[in-house]
Order: sequence, then structure tokens, then C-alpha cells
Amino acid sequence: MKLFKKVLAVSLASAMVFSLAACGGKKEETTAAPAATEAAGETEAAAEETEAKVAAEDLNVAVFYYTYGDTYISSVRTALDAALTEAGIKFQNYDANSNQTTQNEQIDTALTTGANLLIVNIVTSGSVDASSAIVEKAKNAGVPVIFFNRAVEGDEDEGKVLGSYDKLAFVGTDAPEAGHMQGKMVGQYVVDNYDAIDLNKDGKISYAMFMGQLGNVEAIYRTQFGVEDANKVLVEAGKPELEYFDPSNADKYQVDQDGNWSATAANAYMNTNLSQYNETNNNMIELVICNNDGMAEGVISALNDKGYNLGDGQSVTIPVFGVDATDAAKQLIGDGKMTGTIKQDAEGMATMIADLSKNLAEGKDMLEGVDSSKISEKVPNKIYIPYAEYKGE
Amino acid sequence: MNIVNAFHSKVEYYNTLDAKDRKKFWSEMIINNALYILLIIAVIYTYVKNNKFLSAGSIMNIISLSAANIPIALGIGGCIVLTGTDLSAGRVVGLTACIAASLEQSVEYATKMFPNMPVINPWIVILIVLAVGAVVGLVNGFFVAKFKLHPFIVTLATQLIVYGIILMYISLNGNNGQPLSGLDKTFNDFVKGSILPTFGDGKIVVPNYVLMAIAITIIMWVIWNKTTFGKNMFAVGSNPEAANVSGVNVMKTIILVHTLAGAMYGMTGFIESSRIGSNQANTGLNYECDAIAACVIGGVSFVGGTGKISGIVLGVFLLRIIFVALQFLAINQNLQYVIKGLIILIACSIDMRKYLVRK
Repeated sequence: MKLFKKVLAVSLASAMVFSLAACGGKKEETTAAPAATEAAGETEAAAEETEAKVAAEDLNVAVFYYTYGDTYISSVRTALDAALTEAGIKFQNYDANSNQTTQNEQIDTALTTGANLLIVNIVTSGSVDASSAIVEKAKNAGVPVIFFNRAVEGDEDEGKVLGSYDKLAFVGTDAPEAGHMQGKMVGQYVVDNYDAIDLNKDGKISYAMFMGQLGNVEAIYRTQFGVEDANKVLVEAGKPELEYFDPSNADKYQVDQDGNWSATAANAYMNTNLSQYNETNNNMIELVICNNDGMAEGVISALNDKGYNLGDGQSVTIPVFGVDATDAAKQLIGDGKMTGTIKQDAEGMATMIADLSKNLAEGKDMLEGVDSSKISEKVPNKIYIPYAEYKGE
Repeated sequence: MNIVNAFHSKVEYYNTLDAKDRKKFWSEMIINNALYILLIIAVIYTYVKNNKFLSAGSIMNIISLSAANIPIALGIGGCIVLTGTDLSAGRVVGLTACIAASLEQSVEYATKMFPNMPVINPWIVILIVLAVGAVVGLVNGFFVAKFKLHPFIVTLATQLIVYGIILMYISLNGNNGQPLSGLDKTFNDFVKGSILPTFGDGKIVVPNYVLMAIAITIIMWVIWNKTTFGKNMFAVGSNPEAANVSGVNVMKTIILVHTLAGAMYGMTGFIESSRIGSNQANTGLNYECDAIAACVIGGVSFVGGTGKISGIVLGVFLLRIIFVALQFLAINQNLQYVIKGLIILIACSIDMRKYLVRK
């Protein structure tokens, strides 16, 4: 906190002049140069209020997005743009276009242009090396950092990065939570509708899983827990576990090879799957779990082509689950073409980030006023925006 | 008759060879056709491992997936004949897919991009996306022809420009980068429905976009083989100076080839918008990679001036058959990258080898 104020005081030329004049009145025998440094410290107490007002305008925020191409991140960006504009905070957006090197270079540039708060949606999620490199840059410049959305460290390294710098916060989601929630929702839905879902009446449900990206912690957890937790619910209810539709695929998922979580990839996979696994062959895929709603949309388009999930009340509906609760997914759920999704609260995340920025602008502690239920139990500067189930309104 | 005659002359030629040359003849033939031999082996292997691979449904699936990629490959093929390439293709597909989707969203759809606009006749949308694609192609062609810039650089630039435009477009009217979905039924029927009778108890459908791909293949075949423009394209591709001396308008030809290519990407965008059903900023990303690979595999040489429509179509199918086979065999994802890379490398090497031998 102290450091930050010092940086502000030093960086604000106008404040310096102001404080110099004020000091001059008190201490008559000092030369100009030491007065300046002393003044920086003294103004903190003396000119607290004036400084805070100046600071709100002089906060120069740089926001780094991992890619503009991501649907969910676009929602966050729109909401955050609005929130920062409303708070009267000056900001500049950067698009790393899924490239960590680009992002690091953008951060260097932003720091040289005088950014004094970094809001970072890191490209390489869950990597201590990538995030600590950014923290290092911020530390050297004495600038606070707010990471958001994409994890900065894996679970086993919890606190390693977030505990390494005092002007640091993380606003995100608990990566495994979406997977757990999705798994429970899938499990409960399957238990409730077991006989309707089991199309070939073999007493088992065969499922397909579409993964958004290899090596992304969110994708890994969703792929893992989306099935594991569903199985837990099923076993508790005395039902057999889900079975992956293709016994020869040891991975038990199909992944977007470009790592884009894209509808296109899921659509191509599903088309080919359906040419081999269908009701004619009595081995139809009876349940689809996707890492995000975009992939779910691609799957539904492929199912539609084969006469499934038309939402007309007559066609067979294969339950399809996603994550994000995009507008398109909500509409599909409303139309009865999709079964459920997990809502990621884009506006909640943006509001939280804007609140932290406002705290800084007003010279308060960054985490002041944050609801303690949202703060991680293990790491005091990790804020979670909760997920919620969405099955239609 | 031609084929029979050609075969006879080959046999006669073969009979004149001595034992050593005969051995060389066979090894040459195996190397030159290695890709097709590998394909046949791959198909047989996949079929033995998983006999559903050659079921009617699976074959129709391969045809459908290939059909969607044929227009973009045919378009990019022209650029390669000119010894160029086109890196903007995928993004143009994305832009036109988003435009088509935004014009064809159902009136009842809650988050429709243009809420008060009725659903537009798909034929008009085809014209619009063809025009949008053609404009980007025109820009590419103009800079390549006028300033003698390498198409790699020009299309790298337009790729970025078009991506920027996509990002702006999908943020229009408070859409905020959300996927463009909720397409109208008439539009989906137009693209994915079938005017042909279904077979196999109605389970096997020939979607209309397969017919569109066939129509486009025929049109492109005529353009490449039966028009002056087509002949000029090959002349410019093999030697622009010679073409210029013999009275070909090189600049006009280059611009037209790129414009035509752009229109083809527009067509792919039109098909993709309905086929995928969810159109966003990343739609079309990297499509040019598969399209360029398909052309090269199909014998369109980067040396310029050579290439056949039939080769490109074959290349698209070959690539798709391999992709589907990998999925049927449930090959590890990491290994799939390696296999795809090897196929492209082998195909290019065989292609260049033919050229070097001729030299």
C-alpha cells in the first residue's frame, strides 16, 4: 500500500509541485531535491484526500485479454469496458491473440507507456513460470496486478505466485468447480431420466465428451469431473457408471486440436461419430458432455442433421451439456434442443475487477469491501466468482 | 478410348525396355503413386480394424465433410497455380459465415443481431457473401499484381485486416462477440436439407451443400479448362514474362484469380454458417491450412502452372479420409499431428521429385 502511494506521488508531477509548495511553508531550511523525496512520504498523511481525487483520474489501467476470439471473454470485456468507463478510470485493452509472448511484450510496452495497474487474463493458464514472469515485471515497476479468469497456478502450487507479491489479486473461478457442478447436473439428470436416455435399453448410458483444449486446467478439470462426479451420483442411486461410446479410445474424450474450444471441431467429430454410432447400429451416443457451450452448439447442429434434438416435441433428444451459459445456449435450452449448462458470471467478474480498481484509485486496500465468502480459504488474495447451474428459466 | 490408347502405348513402351529399366519403371511408378498406395492401405487397414468405416453412413459422412471444404480448396488452388498462396482464406470464410448467419437468424431468436430485419432469401445471401469474398480477393489480387508483392505477405496482411473486421462485425448492435446462432429453418433446409430422396430408411441424407459443391466443381472445371482466362492463368503461373510477351494481360489475370478465390471462400462461409450452426470470431480459423494441403496433395504444384480440378477434389477427399480414419482408429491425438504433418511432407516431396526429374 505504502509503496503504491509513493509511486503515485512520484509519478504525479502536479501533486509533487503541490506538495513542494506545502512543505516549503513548514520546513524553511531544506533544499529542493530532498524536499521532493520527503514530500512524497509526507503527502501521504498530509494530502490524503487531495491525492485520492487526483489518483482516480490518473489511474492508467492496461487490460490484457488472452484472445478477443473467445466468446465468454468477449462478454467479460464488454462488461468490464462499461464498468471502468462508468468509474471514470482510464484504460487501454490489448489482445494477445492466444500468444503468451505477444502478451508479455504488450505488458512491457504498457509499462513503458506509464500504465500503473495491470489487469491480466493470462494466455498460458495454470503455469507458474508464465504468471511469475508477469508478476516479476510488475514488481520491478512497482505496479499492482489483477489476474482474472484463467488460472495463474495449478492446485499443487497454490499460493506460489499469488503469495509472491503484496499488490496482487486473482479474480476467477475455482477451476474444478465447473466440472464438479456439470458432473452433478449430468448425474442427476441421467438418474431422473434413465430409461428415456437409454435408447438401446442395454442398461448402460454411452456418452461422448468434447474437450476444448489440451493442457488447459479448466478443460482438464471439466473433462475429468464432468464424468467422475456424474458417476458418483449414478452409483449412489444404484445405477451403473457412464460408458464412453468408443471402447477403443483410451483417452475417453475428443479434443479440439487447434485448442480453440470450437463448434467446428466438435461438429466434425460428432458427424463422424454418428456415421458409426447410431440407432441403426444399436450403439447410439446417448449423452453428450462438452467443455463449453460453443462445442455443445456444434454437436447439436450435427444431431439436428440426423433428426435429433429438433425441439419439436417429437424427435428424440440426446441430452447435451455445456458450460458458460452463452445467450445462444440459453436459447437452445429454451427451445428444448439442449439440456443444461453451467453459468459463468461474466458481469459478476467484471464488476469485481472494477471494484478492485476503484479501491486502488481511491487509495484504499485493494481487497477492501470484498465479500469474504468469495475469498479462497487458502489464499487471501484469490477471489472466486461462483458458478451456477442453468437448465432454463 | 483415350485412356485405353494411353494404356496401350504405355504397354508398348514397357515392352521396349530391358530388365534394368523395367525395374526402374516399377519403382518410379510406386514412388509417384505412393500417396494413393498408402491411402488404399490405410482404407483397408481401417476397414479391417473397424468395418463400419465403409458403411453407407460413413461414406456419406466423408463425402459431406469433404464437400464443405471443396470450394475453398478450389479457390486457393488458383492462387497456388500462380505460384502464390492465400493465408486470408480461413478468415474470409469466418467473415462471410458470420455475415450469412447474421442475415439468416430466425425472427423469433431472442438475441438476433438485426432484430427488425426479416429472414433474407438464401439466394440473395449467396450473392452477398460471394461479393464480400470477392472484394477481399480483389484487394489481395490488386496488391499482388500492381506492386509485385508476394501473395504470402499480402494475404498475411489481409488475414489480419479481415480478422479485425470479424471482431467488429460480431460486436455490432450489442451482440458483444456472442456466437451468431438461431438460424432460420428455411436457411438450414436450404443448405443442410435435401432435395434428393433419402435412402437407407431415411437415415442417409445427401445434404444440399454436397450438390452445391458438385455445381461449383463443374463451374470451376469449365473456368480452368475451357475459358481463355483459365488458359491465361496457367500461362502466367508457369512463366509470367513469357505470358506477357505473348499478349496475356498478366495483371488482370492475377487480380481475377484472387477475386475468384475470394468468392469461393465466400461460398464455403455460406455453407459453414449453417453446417456448424454457431458462428463466432474463430470460425474458419486455419481452414486455409487444410485447403492448401489438399491442393498440394492433389498435385497443384507450388512451382506454378500445373494443377487439375480433379486433383484438388481428390486431395480434399484424401485428406478427409485420413482424418476420419484416424478418428475411427481412435489414434492418440498427439500422434495425429505427426501423421498429418508427414502426409503433407511426403506429398510435397513426391510432387517436387516429379518436377526435378523432368528438369
